[in-house]
Amino acid sequence: MALGRFVLKRALQGIVVVWGVVTVVFGLRFITPGSPINVIAPLDASAETKRAIAQELGLDEPLYVQYADYVVGLLQGDMGYSYISNTQASSQVFARLPATLELAVVATIVAIAISIPLGVLSATRRNEPADYGATLFSLGGISTPNFWLGIMLVLVFAVQLEVFKTSGRGPGFGGALATLLTSGSVDGLLTWLSYITLPAITLGTYFTALVTRLTRSGMLDELGQSYIKAVRAKGLPETLVRYKHALRNTLIPVITVLGLQLGTLIGGAVITEAVFDWPGLGTLVINSITARDWPILQGSLVVIGVGFVLINLAVDTLYAYVNPQVVHE
Amino acid sequence: MSGNHGNAIGRRRYLKAASAAALASTVAGCAGGDGGGGNDSESTDGGGGGNGTTAAGGTGTETQAAIENPETRGEFLQVANRALHDQAPWVYLNRQYSVYGVANRIEWEARRDERIDGRAIEPTGGGDTVTITQSQMDSGLDPQDHRETPTDNIVLQAYEGLLTRDAEGTITTELASDYERIEPGRVRFTIREGPTFHNGDPLTPEDVAFSVNRIVNDDVGGLVSPQSDQLAGVTGAQVVDGERAVDVMSDGINPIVFALFASYGDMMQKSWVQNNDGAYINTHMNGTGPFRLANYQEGVQVVYERAPDYWGEPASAAGLTIQAAGESSTRVNQLLGGEADLAVNVPPQDVNRVRNADSAAISPVPSTRVVFNAMRYDLEPFSSPEFRQAMNYAIDIESIVENVLSGFADATGQPTLEGFTGFNSNVEPYPQNVERAERLVEESGFAGEQLTLHTPVGRYLKDVEIAQAVANQIDQLGNVSCEVRQREFSALAGEVTTGNIEDKPPFYLLGWGNATFDASQTIIPLVTSDGELTSYGSDRVDSLLQEAQSLPGNQESG
Repeated sequence: MALGRFVLKRALQGIVVVWGVVTVVFGLRFITPGSPINVIAPLDASAETKRAIAQELGLDEPLYVQYADYVVGLLQGDMGYSYISNTQASSQVFARLPATLELAVVATIVAIAISIPLGVLSATRRNEPADYGATLFSLGGISTPNFWLGIMLVLVFAVQLEVFKTSGRGPGFGGALATLLTSGSVDGLLTWLSYITLPAITLGTYFTALVTRLTRSGMLDELGQSYIKAVRAKGLPETLVRYKHALRNTLIPVITVLGLQLGTLIGGAVITEAVFDWPGLGTLVINSITARDWPILQGSLVVIGVGFVLINLAVDTLYAYVNPQVVHE
Repeated sequence: MSGNHGNAIGRRRYLKAASAAALASTVAGCAGGDGGGGNDSESTDGGGGGNGTTAAGGTGTETQAAIENPETRGEFLQVANRALHDQAPWVYLNRQYSVYGVANRIEWEARRDERIDGRAIEPTGGGDTVTITQSQMDSGLDPQDHRETPTDNIVLQAYEGLLTRDAEGTITTELASDYERIEPGRVRFTIREGPTFHNGDPLTPEDVAFSVNRIVNDDVGGLVSPQSDQLAGVTGAQVVDGERAVDVMSDGINPIVFALFASYGDMMQKSWVQNNDGAYINTHMNGTGPFRLANYQEGVQVVYERAPDYWGEPASAAGLTIQAAGESSTRVNQLLGGEADLAVNVPPQDVNRVRNADSAAISPVPSTRVVFNAMRYDLEPFSSPEFRQAMNYAIDIESIVENVLSGFADATGQPTLEGFTGFNSNVEPYPQNVERAERLVEESGFAGEQLTLHTPVGRYLKDVEIAQAVANQIDQLGNVSCEVRQREFSALAGEVTTGNIEDKPPFYLLGWGNATFDASQTIIPLVTSDGELTSYGSDRVDSLLQEAQSLPGNQESG
């Protein structure tokens, strides 16, 4: 019951945050210079044309009416109509969401697959070459701007060596899986890998470095604890000491960071998506900013905000489940 | 501040009558010369005086054998361009280039109107498909519901107009086999036999009339088309009884009507439009063009296949894909990585990457866009022609073209671009002459002025850099100072497009594309008294344009 109340409380807080996000996103249009009408209308449009556009966009209504219309629309899944791309904003936003999720999940998987073994290796071989190598890698990973890394990877592995694709998403994981299931051919998966590998590495490098450092320091901390000495004294094999006891405890904060970082990856993939022209929310945000396509920009930001809140809620719930002390605090 | 705006007001009504929207018209192609050679003295073919306030005569840069008595429409426009050079309503800057990266796997010739006709691309590297990367995707596939070039490039692969242009901009026939002027406000298009829509139905005159009416009439075809002012002055179309022909009606003579149909007005099937809703029309294609739609991924890519029963010469490529990448480096990467055959808008900083590659080359072509600094003639110090000329003499435009734009631009000295109807080939760009500029500033009585040049950021190629170079060069004058104010484009556009000259900044950078290849469609909106975007007015220029718009064009049949 306590856990249920905890989750409910967090969910209510999340709703307040989402409302705040929606309000800020709505307000953005009014604090940035220039009118959306001037973006939609050609330079030589008449005043009548501009008035008609304002009317169609609802910009001739008082601000509170526009705000109420926007919030009510959002609750009904209506993010508005984009006159620049001649489509419902929601259809564009939700069409791009799978690509962003795919990239974020793959980047996270790559990060976990590399960072946790590397962190453990670094901690268990402290002050040895493997530790120095891992530390250097994590330092480099944290220090390297991902736009630069992405461009370098493209120049070397796509333009020069032509091993991977420079940009785009190709068939996507869904398409690749469908090819595998229908024809038994792995060509689709290979094509998908040729598209996603470089953006996933680019997006996941900072994350990998961060978790490597977190795992290393956590492992070192845990390996110095007295309970580790106790289990060693009991004669447990070192492998069990490290992986069953020390690593398990190390992973609790790591999981928290992983969850939060996944949210960051969804919202923070803008630069990586732009470099690789990955057709996700990040590219959509950039394009909509460039085109001053407000309905799509606002819709994208709301979805990113809601995604972040949901992931936080899931992580908090998981954390509370694993560590009940949190609930009582 | 001095106001000389009012005395031109009486001239205004005629321009609207002469060319209904006055913002998108004329006959294309020929530039025509006004004879003579030589230059570098005083203007005589229309330069100088009579701008309603202060005469500008006596300070023009070039003089040629003049057109003493203009008779043809082209001659009136040339004289207007001479006058506008001498009266200097703008600091004349550059003609923008379109710069493409082209893979060695294809052969293709760039067009001046920025359009990419997939039919003209020939794969030569063993493959039979072509991939084009442009900077943005379409805003829907309805060919009559957009205004921007990227969407044009996507829809024109499947849709066609009555007329079209060759790579140089000259009018040629397309779905019309013939065209002629019947009377001042009526022209006739004979509709070609043979074209079929991609659903197999033949093109009919009813489809043509419906398509024109859907663009110009809000109550036809369930669309308020943003292209109505691209067919400026056109009021409607009707099928000619008993003939495979359509008459198009205009307000007044509309001398540029054929030029408009060569650049705009894609034909759609009446029944297909009426039987489908807007969402369907924006995601499907049913044209008569050389390619038909194979797959559409909104915002990602459009894939075409060669139309099997195309009425004309079939496309060389069996398939065509158009995709987009907003980042120029990504477009270049796609080109060099073999994932695209043609990359649009390669900026100067990426040109050398393409040039140094073995697999691709740079293909620059002059575009139809002119970039300039407008000076509000109703405000001091720009009310003085001497001061405006001084600003032109202060600028080393050749240096800006070379150093800021890496040579991918042409210096200009008049509003009209070379190759357009009405271009005056005897007018040269102002040469930089700092001493003369300082002297003219002194003569104007506005020495010591501090100017602010408003510029959009990122709207035009190197816009901020151009503005900074201009301001710096003006600042080099001993008696004027200048600084740049960077503006968000929509904010600047909001001030420029109100239709009221008093809302505009005194001094601002702007670009203007004119796909009709006709001087009137730059001069009327931008530098006549009643222009929607005008910063200048002059009785002389107004009357020259009035005369020009009352005369037929020079390509009135074909």
